[in-house]
Amino acid sequence: MKLGVILTESKRTEDTFERLQADKLSVVLAGNGIYHAVIKENGNTSKVLDKAADFYVLTEDLESRGFTSADLVDAKIKQVNYDGLVDLIMDEHDKFVWL
Amino acid sequence: MATLTIGVFSSLVGSMSLDFAVKLAEAARKKGHDVNVWVSGNATMLSKKGQRSFKDYSSLNKTVESLLAEGAEFCACEACAEARGYKKDDTMENWQRHSMDWYLAKCAKSDKILHIGGE
Repeated sequence: MKLGVILTESKRTEDTFERLQADKLSVVLAGNGIYHAVIKENGNTSKVLDKAADFYVLTEDLESRGFTSADLVDAKIKQVNYDGLVDLIMDEHDKFVWL
Repeated sequence: MATLTIGVFSSLVGSMSLDFAVKLAEAARKKGHDVNVWVSGNATMLSKKGQRSFKDYSSLNKTVESLLAEGAEFCACEACAEARGYKKDDTMENWQRHSMDWYLAKCAKSDKILHIGGE
């Protein structure tokens, strides 16, 4: 199954997120979840980014918090706006969940 | 095009999840998709008539009004609204009020569903 996850929490996510599995997994960092895309702690990127998945960050939520693409801590993170998110949901994944 | 149903069980007006849900609905409508939005719990506040907009404060009712005018369906949980003192007369024009059956029926007929939990 192709599963998409919209992660909106900036806190650590030991349980549900870390146990999620899918043939193809995409993670959309939205709301305060965008901090996983721009913050390093003690020089390390967020553990969330260790997950085997395609990563996206919602541009509107990134920029409304004062960040730009230059602040992304990992090149694998792609930016997506609401327009692109609709395509991810409607065309490119079987299901999407909200965490 | 396809049909997207969004269920929002989030917090009050001003909550990020509610903001997200309405912006996603708007983007999906622009792409020609049919959109249904169900609000439950405190999110039923979104259906309340007479909301005022203030500078630098999340205000969604204008966006919701235009989405309704374009054919998107918005429905508030009747029980949740009544429990919070919102009567039928308090409800914005073109909003529907039903039991959760409405949401389940829409989900059954939708291509994609996004269920946004509470905060």
